[in-house]
Amino acid sequence: MLLIILWLIQDFLTVLNGGEMHIPGLFMLGLVYNLSFNDSSDVNLRAIWSAFAGGILWDLRWIGIPGFFTLGNVCAVLIFIKIWEAVPPQGHTGFLFFILMEISQIVPPLLPILILAGSTAWNFFLLQQVYSLPAILVTMYLFFKKIQQNLTQGR
Amino acid sequence: MDSTRNTTRELVHGLAALILALFLLGISSGLGLVKNIVDLWGALLFIPEYPAVIMRDVFLEWRSWSRDKNSLNAEVIKLREENSRLRIDLAKLIGEKIYSEDIKPDRKTARVALRTPMSWWNEIRIDKGEIDSISQGLPIFYNGYLLGRVSSVSTMSSWAELITSPSFMIPAVIEETRELGVIVGDGGGSVLLRYIPAGRGVKTGMRVSTAMIGEQLPPGLPIGKIAGEISSGSDGYATYKIEPGVDMSKFYTVNY
Repeated sequence: MLLIILWLIQDFLTVLNGGEMHIPGLFMLGLVYNLSFNDSSDVNLRAIWSAFAGGILWDLRWIGIPGFFTLGNVCAVLIFIKIWEAVPPQGHTGFLFFILMEISQIVPPLLPILILAGSTAWNFFLLQQVYSLPAILVTMYLFFKKIQQNLTQGR
Repeated sequence: MDSTRNTTRELVHGLAALILALFLLGISSGLGLVKNIVDLWGALLFIPEYPAVIMRDVFLEWRSWSRDKNSLNAEVIKLREENSRLRIDLAKLIGEKIYSEDIKPDRKTARVALRTPMSWWNEIRIDKGEIDSISQGLPIFYNGYLLGRVSSVSTMSSWAELITSPSFMIPAVIEETRELGVIVGDGGGSVLLRYIPAGRGVKTGMRVSTAMIGEQLPPGLPIGKIAGEISSGSDGYATYKIEPGVDMSKFYTVNY
């Protein structure tokens, strides 16, 4: 449900700004945040297919050709799962989380730009990464808050 | 053991999702069905997006007001009306038939809802359709210049072909010399004027507009200016590059 709301907010904000600036990938941030507190394989599988569904719907709305964000979202989630699981819980630091969130913002829009666009799109892409930073910082704040909460509850 | 099985499952699902995405990417660009799905999805999202459209329109209107744009718009409309009258007078003088009702200074505005990278110079989707009196063949404008024409219409949205599209071919006239030619896009962002007899004194900066010969588009719609001669063939005809009146990389709305 949270992911659907985030997807709709991302779409809403994109319509609101009328294509004049790129909106951070809120859907992917939510997905990655959810995954970071999970150790269940079923949740991972749901995340892979949620990324797929979110990507295809985004492609149909904003790219016109399904596959670009679909592929990027799935890649980003797989990278997250593989790295997050390969690192022991002691290594799940804020820095690693930040890097993985950045990957979740960089990978999905990268494919359409690599395949379709010219130098102007690269400027938009870099701007999007800058605009993503506040959203990433908010997600990191939530991540640390949740860790604190878990420590207090002795989990 | 369980961990290995889970990892394998994740890997299998991940690969399946990747392959499916690649498959979709491979087959969908050429499918007309995708365009219908895109339209349908756009129509479904119209409801949750509607407040954003309203908010954006309100904001734009406020910004326009704050910059005193309204007075400028009024001046533009006045100048367009004057231009229309002059155009009609000129047409009468040189004996060309022109339809004054076709040169409307008060056009409605539609938002560009989609411009796909694969057909960047060919077509756009606008957020107005049948219910907004859009019909196939209707010309669309930006800043008073011809931008393209509507190629297909659905209830709440339409697709329009741009003047930079290779399949957009319309008769045009050089206003200063009255030479007739054909406007065609090259699919790469340029607009060309073809079949103009060579050596007729066509110069850079001369204005080009639609001609009255057998097309759905009315005559006299401004297109742009001559930017230079590209080639002069052995058949006695020259091709000119046109500088469109519309900045093809900077329009978020269109008029119709």
